[in-house]
Amino acid sequence: MKKITKFMKKPWFLGILVFAMAIVVIWNIPIEKRKYGFSQSGLATDYTGLLPERIEKVVNVHNRNELQRIVQEANKKGKHISIAGLQHSQGGHTYYKDGIVLDMRRFNRILEVNEQAKTVRVESGASWEDVQEAVTPYGLALQVTQSQSIFTIGGSLSVNAHGRDIRFGPMAETVREMTVLTPTGEIKHLTRDDSEEWMTYILGGYGLFGVILDVTLNLTENEVYTIHTEEIETGKYESYLHRVLENQNIAMHYARISVAPGTFLDEMYVIDYNRTRKQAKITSLKEEEGVRVSKFALDLGRKGGKLEDLFWESQRLYINSIDGKTITRNNAMRSESTFMEFTTPGRVEVLQEFFIPVDSYEEYMKSLKDLLPHNDQDEDFKVHNITVRYAAKDHMTSLPYAKEDMLGLVVLIQHGLKEKEIAHAKTMIQKWTDVTLQYGGTYYLPYYPYQTKEQFKESYPNWKNFKEQKAERDPNGVFVNLFYDHYMK
Amino acid sequence: MQNKIERYIPLIVTVGQVVIFPYYIVWLKEVSFSYTLFAWLFATFSFAAAWGYRFFQSRGEKPRSFITSVYVAMGVVYIVVGYWKLLIEYLPYVALMTQIVLGFLQGYFRAWHTKQRSYHVHAINHYLIVGVIMIALSFMKVVSPSIFLTVFGIILCMCGIWEVVRRKKFRNSC
Repeated sequence: MKKITKFMKKPWFLGILVFAMAIVVIWNIPIEKRKYGFSQSGLATDYTGLLPERIEKVVNVHNRNELQRIVQEANKKGKHISIAGLQHSQGGHTYYKDGIVLDMRRFNRILEVNEQAKTVRVESGASWEDVQEAVTPYGLALQVTQSQSIFTIGGSLSVNAHGRDIRFGPMAETVREMTVLTPTGEIKHLTRDDSEEWMTYILGGYGLFGVILDVTLNLTENEVYTIHTEEIETGKYESYLHRVLENQNIAMHYARISVAPGTFLDEMYVIDYNRTRKQAKITSLKEEEGVRVSKFALDLGRKGGKLEDLFWESQRLYINSIDGKTITRNNAMRSESTFMEFTTPGRVEVLQEFFIPVDSYEEYMKSLKDLLPHNDQDEDFKVHNITVRYAAKDHMTSLPYAKEDMLGLVVLIQHGLKEKEIAHAKTMIQKWTDVTLQYGGTYYLPYYPYQTKEQFKESYPNWKNFKEQKAERDPNGVFVNLFYDHYMK
Repeated sequence: MQNKIERYIPLIVTVGQVVIFPYYIVWLKEVSFSYTLFAWLFATFSFAAAWGYRFFQSRGEKPRSFITSVYVAMGVVYIVVGYWKLLIEYLPYVALMTQIVLGFLQGYFRAWHTKQRSYHVHAINHYLIVGVIMIALSFMKVVSPSIFLTVFGIILCMCGIWEVVRRKKFRNSC
């Protein structure tokens, strides 16, 4: 032992050790350097990190005069601007090559809560969590928001998001008034009867028609709900949903479809929130709970095969355990999200959402069963979760994903980052989109654009009008992003 | 005066290395791509430090210890890291080189420092000073870690020059 220790202390041995280690490191430095989670000065990505791009600069926005000056200057100098909130979009919606990024996160004041009118006026950089904290003490709650409260108001409105609510229509319809900064640098106060129809293009406009400065949102009561859960067969969901929609006592609803090999697309859990007509007296909001356990269970599910069956079983236990419990509206609109964190080098998890007319659901699911592998354990393209949400017909925005009453299938997908793995994921998602289009469906645009331009045009037939209005309202092409580049250029 | 300089330069270098460490880590993490590579780069640093330490010991106690060159070389590495805008393609390779060079120089410096009379006084002082500086830095709005790395690199180069001047004066006075 002494001899070994002595030998290891020889300078030439240590030199060789360093050299050998350097060779190992060099051998392991990836050829493709632009990977998930990687960023450095001047390089922007969004949540997935799939679309890194070098940008000119990031401007932390504090006030609207400063914003106006930046936009006016960009018009004069031919600069490009993108708008970023918490950057949970996944298709490069928040930045552009060599462009200026407006970081709106500090533009986040709650300007007014009107208890009588049941409205809240808020700056666009505020998160839904900020709004919930402001309105809960008044016994008020949001009408429509996503399942999690981690997004900014401006970001969610720019993609016209939706969530578990089934009574108030699309998120855009909950906007009563708003103040915007137009692409030419003009500050405009808009109401629903605005003759220039700015709201039509800004809401669900993916940040291409100017900056949302503040919005006045309609609120409702922070009612207490009783949770009802049930396990049903996929084939019976359509009729179940019709009963839910007819029953005005149910305020919110969502469902989850099994992607476990043993019950693949055959079983579902439904979760309803039944009204109790009691306003919540508690003013506190729930924090994230059971994150480590949920992450452990999800990580098991990510392994696929029998472990994915086990994960589905664990969800069954959880869903059964919450049946009959009560929850406030605000708390039902702030589910946990941290447990979904996925940072395995060389792989990425992305979201896609497909919308399908309510009455086509059963046939659509049969077609999906033919398309997707039931057991993806040994596949590179893995489907980890499918959640179902109801999306009411959108009468308001220019690129409506819900052309009629639709069901949105939010899909969590994992795939590798090698060129051929991304290409395979693209092929699979394009096939999935084709099936969706066959049933009169659409797909959602805040995510990575695996789809082709043709699929976009078929999903969003109003795209020409959107493009024309963009050219008219933003003549110098100031507001651009990678999403615009992919689909509109 | 000569004695003070002799005492303070190693203290500045020791304290600076610890204070700059979090900023250097941020830079290194950015260029590492994965935790595995990040850990391996640190392993390389550690082996290089052992090499540097042993290299000093194996030379024996010689009057000229190259410590001036060590200060300047470390300074240049930090300036390169902080100031030089490199292409993403080359960043991991540059990180590997800096880990080897910094590791070797820090190992060498540590071995030299332990032989100095003031080493044990420095050991206590440096912990206290680092604590105070880190609290002060926590109240600063950090623009970019690269600024701190560059500034520390310049300080190290100045220490090297300071040391050269000190020795020259010392020789002239003898």
